[in-house]
Amino acid sequence: MLQKEHDVLIVGSGHAGGMAAKVLTEKGLSCLILEAGPEMDYQKDRVTKSAHELPYRGFDKPGRLPHVIQANEFNANQWVDEKEVPYTHPPDAWANWVRVRLVGGRSHFWARQSFRLSDFEFKPSQLDGGVDWPFGLSEVAPYYSRVEAIFKVSGRKEGWPQFPDGDFVETNYPPDSGTIRKFTEVCNQRGIGVSKMRASQGQNGLASSINLLLPDALATGKLDIVSNAIVRQLRVDKNTGLVNGAYFVDRHSSREMEVKAKVVVLAAGSLESTRLLLNSGLANSSGLVGRYLVDQLYGVSVVASVPEARDGKAPAGLMGGTALVPRFRNLKKNEGHNFIKGYCINVSSGGSASPHFFATYGEELEQKLESYAGSCVTGSIYAERLARYENFVRINKDVVDAWGIPVIHMEYRNSQNEYNLAKDAADTIEDLFRGCGWDILSKSDRSFPPGRSIHEMGTCRMGDDPKTSVLNRWNQSHDIKNLFVVDAAGFVTCGWQNPTMTILALSMRASEHLADLIRQGAV
Amino acid sequence: MKVQRRRFLQTVAMAPAVSAAAPQRAAAPPAASAPKLTNALPDEDAQTTPRFFTAAQFAALRRLGALFMPPRKGRPGALDAGAPEFVDFLVSVSAAERQQLYRHGLDTFNARAHSQFGKPFAELDDKQADTILRPLIVTIAWVLDRPTDPLEHFVAQVHDDMRTATVNSEEFAQAMAAINAGRRGRSSGVDIFIKPIDPVYRG
Repeated sequence: MLQKEHDVLIVGSGHAGGMAAKVLTEKGLSCLILEAGPEMDYQKDRVTKSAHELPYRGFDKPGRLPHVIQANEFNANQWVDEKEVPYTHPPDAWANWVRVRLVGGRSHFWARQSFRLSDFEFKPSQLDGGVDWPFGLSEVAPYYSRVEAIFKVSGRKEGWPQFPDGDFVETNYPPDSGTIRKFTEVCNQRGIGVSKMRASQGQNGLASSINLLLPDALATGKLDIVSNAIVRQLRVDKNTGLVNGAYFVDRHSSREMEVKAKVVVLAAGSLESTRLLLNSGLANSSGLVGRYLVDQLYGVSVVASVPEARDGKAPAGLMGGTALVPRFRNLKKNEGHNFIKGYCINVSSGGSASPHFFATYGEELEQKLESYAGSCVTGSIYAERLARYENFVRINKDVVDAWGIPVIHMEYRNSQNEYNLAKDAADTIEDLFRGCGWDILSKSDRSFPPGRSIHEMGTCRMGDDPKTSVLNRWNQSHDIKNLFVVDAAGFVTCGWQNPTMTILALSMRASEHLADLIRQGAV
Repeated sequence: MKVQRRRFLQTVAMAPAVSAAAPQRAAAPPAASAPKLTNALPDEDAQTTPRFFTAAQFAALRRLGALFMPPRKGRPGALDAGAPEFVDFLVSVSAAERQQLYRHGLDTFNARAHSQFGKPFAELDDKQADTILRPLIVTIAWVLDRPTDPLEHFVAQVHDDMRTATVNSEEFAQAMAAINAGRRGRSSGVDIFIKPIDPVYRG
């Protein structure tokens, strides 16, 4: 038998698992990654096509991925097949769960927006309510810095506490267009700061576990990656109650297998890590595994047209570009809004109008679309959803996936806070655009279903008290000391910011702590 | 026990690499390469056979296609792009809900045309068609919203489907290539297609 016993089994190979593998192998520990999906070959699996060359003329097969708003016929094969790995939700609580099963996970496809959380998210109890994380920004900042160095994050320093600066690579943003300058001026008149997108540059346009993390881990000679390995359940030592490996099924043959390891690190994505804990019946003395599911609300749409840019008459430099308005609501106590927390505004200049903005058709509509083409500025938001006990996942024992593994049942709804916040955002963006002298073409305070951001977080939250949290401050199970969850499942609040930098920083931090514990013989 | 295992291993070593049922004749070694042949797309040589809607429904659908997406400025309209035929196919493989939306919508357009003008919707002139169609077009501010009224919803859906089926057609791509000839940059509707990645063979 060739079977090895590794120091650490890591489940999942995205940003969280890739970082754990890099840190642990570089500390000399032998690691095994089990990845549920195959490896994508960028040369063979991708080809340039036109929409008319696709079988469904770009519509994709109807009903194929009802929960993936991002899916189209070009990218449909990159997402997890909902029939192969289904999940359930009540009919009145439509929620999206957008998954990728590949070596590298979702890190292939993320939009690379790279933000730090602030103490408005880490320590909310002091200001507008919510549970604090067991640490603040000062504890995480050194890890953010090291992650930013690996991912080469571009950004403009602002010095705003709600938008902590990172260690950015030298960034040369193109000069702001006239519309972005006007928008910035109007925001500043109202005391609102406008910044620029912060983004991971990575290497060759890719900032993924597969090019920035896993190659370093493999280079140590201490890492094995087994792909197509779908973990069914964790393996437990009956005498000690500790985990000692995992049972998995081969994706192609359905052959049942098992591996042994001294420590288990879950990095399968929040809800898959939680599904694995629940299907294993582990680490849940608090009863909170699956609770406090949270992600960012994406939504609100205000579209304005810049009068002097219509009919193709925009002067050079007027249109184009983007602006990011970091959270500006409820930064002080008692601002008098009917919601807590806040949102960022994303502004994009130079777009065109949707045919649905006009109640006409045919030649008349085409002329309107031509007239407005390129003259539009759009505003939308990323907002913090409240972490609430009522939003949860559990196992649905009545439904199994293609490998016989019971699936997730998700109950996830907006609270009134989210609706009130979205209404404020739509009114505010309209006011700002009108302040710029632009004509409002369309305005909506509606939002996408929960899960649209592909940023699901929580369900194994961290904390110092084992009665009110699942993981301790080191992403380590309160109940089982050789079990860690290093993806976003440990998040306590979500903020409005893309979570990737925080996932990476906390996985790095937890993995270094784990290596210390192993060296001390403490796990 | 040891001996038995060794014998088993010898048996394995002597066994052919494929099962006994495979032809005994040695296969030719695979070629190192083969020419890449150009394949035509079906729409270059053939047209979709409409088979889902009734003749009356399909005639109304074509009329709506012509109204929503007329040809203009060197670009094909819905009829030139075979969009109604494609939409017939698309609806035929869609959920029952969408099929019902379309059938009810097309039947209602024909019924209103008969009651107001004594002929099917397909035979109305533009002004007559407009009196039926225009009141059913409403604005939509949020991308995922659809009107609650089934006829307004139908009209918004036909409009979306006809527009996409037209601009994503081969005819449209060729027209745009001619219009954009000499300009730099990738034409619209071109993107990276991700093939099925290591799919599970399910027999």
